[in-house]
Amino acid sequence: MNPTNQPVNSIIEQLQERAKELHTLYKVHELINQQDTSIDEVCRTLTEVLPGGWQYPSVCWAKITMDNTVYQPPLVTETPWVLRADVVVQGEKVGSIDVFYTRQMPRADEGPFLKEERKLIDTIAERLGHFLMQRRLQTTLRGWQSAIENLASPEKREWWVIIEFLRKTDQHLLLRISRRMLNYLCWNGIDEAQQLLHRFAADFTQQAEGFEDNIPLRRTSIEDLLALTEDAFRIAATHLSEGEIVSCIQKWIRDDKSGFLVEAVENQCTSLTDIGQALERYHQLAVQDEELSRSVQIGLRVSLARRFFTEDLEFINIAKNYIEIRDFYELVNHIISPPASHGKLGGKSAGMLLASQIIRKCGEYSDLLAGIKVPKTWYIASDGLMSFVEYNQLEDVYTRKYLEIEQIRREYPHIVQVFKNSRFAPEIMKGLSLALDDLEGKPLIVRSSSLLEDRMGAAFSGKYKSLFLPNIGTKGERLSALMDAIAEVYASLFGPDPIDYRAERNLLDLHEEMGIMIQEVVGSRVGPYFLPSYAGVAFSNNEFRWSPRIKREDGLVRLVPGLGTRAVDRIGDDYPILVAPGQPGLRVNVTPEEMLRYAPRKIDLINLETQRFETVDAAQLFREHGREYPALDQIASVYDSEGIHRPVSFGWDPAESHTVVTFDGLTTSTPFMARMRAMLKLLRERIGSPVDIEFASDGRDLYLLQCRPQSFSRDALPSAIPRDLPLDRVLFAANKYVSNGRVPDVTHVVYVDPEQYDGLESLDDLKDVGRAVGRLNKLLPKHQFILMGPGRWGSRGDIKLGVSVTYSDINNTSVLMEIAAKKGNYVPDLSFGTHFFQDLVEAGIRYLPLFPGDAGQICNDVFLRRAPNILGELLPEYAHLSEVVHVIDVTQTTDGLVLHVLMNAELDEAVGFFAPATLAQSGTPERKTGIPQITEDHWRWRLRMAEHIAAEVDPARFGIKGMYVFGSTKNATAGPGSDIDLIVHQEANDDSRRALEGWLEGWSLCLSEMNYLRTGYRTEGLLDVKIVTDEDFKNHSSFASKIGAITDPARALPLRRPAG
Amino acid sequence: MNKKAFNPFEMAQTQFDKVADVINLDAATRDLLRNPMREFSFAIPVSMDDGVVKVFRGFRVQHNDARGPAKGGIRFHPNETLDTVRALATWMTWKCAVVDIPLGGGKGGVICDPHNLSQREQQAICRGWVRQMAKNIGPVIDVPAPDVMTNPQHMLWMLDEFEAIHGGRYPGFITGKPVGMGGSLGRTEATGYGLIFTVREALREMGLKPADCTASVQGFGNVSQYAVRLYRQLGGKVICVSCWDQGDQISYTFRKKSGVDPDELMGITDHFGGIDKGKAKTLGYEILPGDAWIEQEVEVLLPAAIENQVTGENVNKIHGKVKLIGEGANGPTTPEADKVIHERGIFVIPDFLANAGGVTCSYFEQVQGNMNYYWERDEVLGKLDTKMTSAFHAVSDLARKQKLYMRDAAYVIAVNRVAKACKDRGWV
Repeated sequence: MNPTNQPVNSIIEQLQERAKELHTLYKVHELINQQDTSIDEVCRTLTEVLPGGWQYPSVCWAKITMDNTVYQPPLVTETPWVLRADVVVQGEKVGSIDVFYTRQMPRADEGPFLKEERKLIDTIAERLGHFLMQRRLQTTLRGWQSAIENLASPEKREWWVIIEFLRKTDQHLLLRISRRMLNYLCWNGIDEAQQLLHRFAADFTQQAEGFEDNIPLRRTSIEDLLALTEDAFRIAATHLSEGEIVSCIQKWIRDDKSGFLVEAVENQCTSLTDIGQALERYHQLAVQDEELSRSVQIGLRVSLARRFFTEDLEFINIAKNYIEIRDFYELVNHIISPPASHGKLGGKSAGMLLASQIIRKCGEYSDLLAGIKVPKTWYIASDGLMSFVEYNQLEDVYTRKYLEIEQIRREYPHIVQVFKNSRFAPEIMKGLSLALDDLEGKPLIVRSSSLLEDRMGAAFSGKYKSLFLPNIGTKGERLSALMDAIAEVYASLFGPDPIDYRAERNLLDLHEEMGIMIQEVVGSRVGPYFLPSYAGVAFSNNEFRWSPRIKREDGLVRLVPGLGTRAVDRIGDDYPILVAPGQPGLRVNVTPEEMLRYAPRKIDLINLETQRFETVDAAQLFREHGREYPALDQIASVYDSEGIHRPVSFGWDPAESHTVVTFDGLTTSTPFMARMRAMLKLLRERIGSPVDIEFASDGRDLYLLQCRPQSFSRDALPSAIPRDLPLDRVLFAANKYVSNGRVPDVTHVVYVDPEQYDGLESLDDLKDVGRAVGRLNKLLPKHQFILMGPGRWGSRGDIKLGVSVTYSDINNTSVLMEIAAKKGNYVPDLSFGTHFFQDLVEAGIRYLPLFPGDAGQICNDVFLRRAPNILGELLPEYAHLSEVVHVIDVTQTTDGLVLHVLMNAELDEAVGFFAPATLAQSGTPERKTGIPQITEDHWRWRLRMAEHIAAEVDPARFGIKGMYVFGSTKNATAGPGSDIDLIVHQEANDDSRRALEGWLEGWSLCLSEMNYLRTGYRTEGLLDVKIVTDEDFKNHSSFASKIGAITDPARALPLRRPAG
Repeated sequence: MNKKAFNPFEMAQTQFDKVADVINLDAATRDLLRNPMREFSFAIPVSMDDGVVKVFRGFRVQHNDARGPAKGGIRFHPNETLDTVRALATWMTWKCAVVDIPLGGGKGGVICDPHNLSQREQQAICRGWVRQMAKNIGPVIDVPAPDVMTNPQHMLWMLDEFEAIHGGRYPGFITGKPVGMGGSLGRTEATGYGLIFTVREALREMGLKPADCTASVQGFGNVSQYAVRLYRQLGGKVICVSCWDQGDQISYTFRKKSGVDPDELMGITDHFGGIDKGKAKTLGYEILPGDAWIEQEVEVLLPAAIENQVTGENVNKIHGKVKLIGEGANGPTTPEADKVIHERGIFVIPDFLANAGGVTCSYFEQVQGNMNYYWERDEVLGKLDTKMTSAFHAVSDLARKQKLYMRDAAYVIAVNRVAKACKDRGWV
């Protein structure tokens, strides 16, 4: 119907109708809520009330049929113009409501009746059904009470009372119990029972045939059967003890109550809504889980977990022990799903619910873990996405994953727009609107909860979007913002990064579905902002130990003030506070300088005024709004001339002092660390694997936001350590304080010989070693070399203890190794990279200590000292250090092999060995991909581009004498984020140099964009061009030393022939 | 062990031998001063958080206490050696003597890495150290102070243990305590102000007025900030400061020819003394390379950042107008550069005189603690002025009379004072 064509009258009429309906509904409601009215009265009154709700009340009358009783006004005749609804109790029709028009009225939706009237009568019938059920339960209850009273009298046999009672109240139940008793007796090998069963079964079949349509027949049948009941129990009485019979009957009665629920969850055709209703009904019955027999309990839990969460057996196996049936009651009221949904809630939701239930039922840890909360959450079932796609006819997005990744990346922004401009089906909108009413007043986060997420070792963390919403404004504004966010999260499923990621893991063909979590953001208002006081992530296993005293099981917490986003992600220039719950006293940063240097300086939050997610300066926020900031004295310390200390709460004014985030208060004066430790321990025990959790606090309560098995990023998975390596292929082997990791394709080793370093006499020489390392750090291919040196890298105290470097001198290395070579009878302490530990963590640089001389540890000194040292060629000015600093071109020295470093924290073992490059290998184990030509050919593509540039450049115009490629492109080790290293030999001339730089800059940006489309890696330009002059060329200085070098020489590129 | 390895104590002895030759010291006094008078090496058992007992090694060296109780810091360092402690104790003797405060030289340490220790364990080490040394330290015997990886908190734990053992309150036992717990006011300013007191006196001797002399300062940390402030109060102008940029990992020089305003710069400086480049620009500062401070056309250079900043490479960039270098940092000049500066006749206030404001203020803290009466900030700084001024004149008078280079004169006066005290006491 087109609303604009509707006559005004009709609209007004419609509105009047609505008012009438509501009025009637209200009356019905009032009526059946009166405690002491009898069923009779209710039905009678109903017949009077009902006509008022219909369009033409004057010609309308109602009839109610209940069992065999008919309620209707006097002197009426039934007409063909009738609207009927059945009254159903516990799935069984017990009566009906009929509304008649006495004469023919104008045609409407259903005969003369409006579709609203259909709804109305259905609703009333349903209400009446509920009402009847309640009444029945009341009677049952009373019956029970009298039965219990009867039990007290010794002359009657207990169980007989029950049977008698059932005979009066619930014959169907009695029948089912009798049947079970018969079975039970048969199983116990009682002949009499077997004979009886024969009869019983025959009768049952007979009865079943007429079951649906003939009520009277059923009744007689039941009465007959009841006679059998007596027989069954008579047999039981002779063979079983009284106690046994009673306990059997009790158990069966309880089990029976859950029968409909079992049916609902086991039947694969029931929708989530049906299951929800069944659960609701079960809830109304007020059955306690413990009352059911154990097998029924577990069966139900398993089925529910399977329907709501996942088919994953491992998950179900754990969940069945902790998630009880009653835990689903609340859940079903917070699920938004399309009609007839068969969706699930997804991994994130499942993990969170499981963890929260484990914590709630924690037993021995209850002192510590009581009061840990979970934020209010609503869920959209996974097929919400399908319904969204269908509703908007977007089906072709499903096949997009098979397109070229480049195309996916290019078109993705459009998909996002299309999704955002699409609409949600009305029932989803209704659900969202309900959710918003429930979640009013707090900002929201919309998170993905994909079915693949957090499962099967494929951590999709961060691959799909999570969006924050301020959730302020009118209901309409809030709703449209929420739908916008959900659409965007949906769109992220079709984004290039997750697709690429899935392709890499062979998960592309799996149908990916995504649930949505709409969660209130934990926190409070501070000035114009909304944020948690603090938040973070915690891991069962500590993969970044900064002290040998910290064990892997001591765990790791990354804490930040404000939203946890800054703790979850690694942000290069800011640092979370790291604490090991098992050793909370051992902090990474000890001196005030370190504490200042590595303190979190920024805070993520929601700005309620601009309605955006923002990052602000922590010190400034504390200065301006410190007084409102909950629990600030637990988060920040004061920095003054006497160092860093905790604020004295009384009279402390954050605006007046220099604050620095240390979390000293939280970690030393509150049970926080103990709780974290207990929580990690508990979850690890119960889930059976190390976990990774997210949490937040509003300053009062601690909230659990997420829990999943501790997932590792690709490079941080424990590597398998090969056992059969020939000794001459091994560069080093370590077995102490090893973390997880895998660093393949290392082309260069920088080795500072501990003995030679120790022998250096002058301070300048010692410092020169550091300077040389700093230069090599810039010169060697990024992340393809490792640094090995004595003692403590970056030692600020005694330069003898280790090479004096700053973080910027080592930031391009892939592994930093500290060698603790025995001196006399003492082994120098290693620093564990303490001087820049947090920089290493945030940059993903691996740290590895080596103790040569310890059992099982190998340091191949012979190779390190005898391999050709190219230091002199690379840095002639440091040639005098050649005895101390060894730079080894692995490929040259080993006939084309590269170094692979494999680290395994489980075994506490690491090994560095020479083998062919993985990228050049065919069929590498980990990189099977659905989009083959892209991932493996980074270097080939780069080389082609380099050749292309050389062919395009006009040598005459720019005065170019030669062009060379070196580094990862030439060595065939380039990764998706690698630069193309070029050397251009050019006549010295400022103008032509500027022109060339401009020309190459254009290329660099274009290539960077192309590379981004191919790989998703953003770089600022892809070319790294070194220009060498004639003079350099002649003297082999600067990068010219690479041209024609003995080791790792730059490769010449053919230039365009001069025109003509 | 490699014999050629760098040994700080041997270096300290070589330095001493040179001075001893200059003043023609007798053999017995040489023997006495070449080596520490007392050395303690002891075990500190600590019950760790996990219940295991670990034994740490502690040291205390009292190099010489002829002029007064030994004074010197306690270091927590994983590779602490007795030789390092000996060297540092020796230098403390000379440092106290050159500013003429009645204290001797000492140093101590524990082999440990606080990165591997909880606060509770560190406290146990502090208390253990004091228990082992209790009879041989005290306000009139040997006065410890914070040093590498120790801070006011450690000092309070040590003080508390000492007082528990000796049954009384002895705030003069240790220095570096927080204000209000026996610390002294004026300590933050002491080193920077001390530097300028000596610069003021040096200019006066040269017949120059601060108002006519511009200065260029390297660094913008604690020392430099207060030095710039006081120099401006004296009427002088500082045209540039430099600082390390954490983000770029290089240093920059910030120049404003009309004069640097330290308060203005402090407003845009982070905890590490890093100045915000963008904001500095809008305030009218030029951003120059880190080395630019040294080549400015100024009368006074104040390297107040870290060691080895004036080197053979850049010493020749020093402008011809420069008349005075005040070494606010420790060892800012390499021996090579020092030679050039000496030859060019630039007047140098050597580091251990120029930055002795710090140790002088520690002495004041101890004095105030001993009488349990604490001075106002101005009184502390006034007394500091007096001390630094007379110490400077003593050194420069000697330099003039004996035609010594200032650096040598400072050493000579220090060794001479200690040697005299030993003789006066009839030890040698």
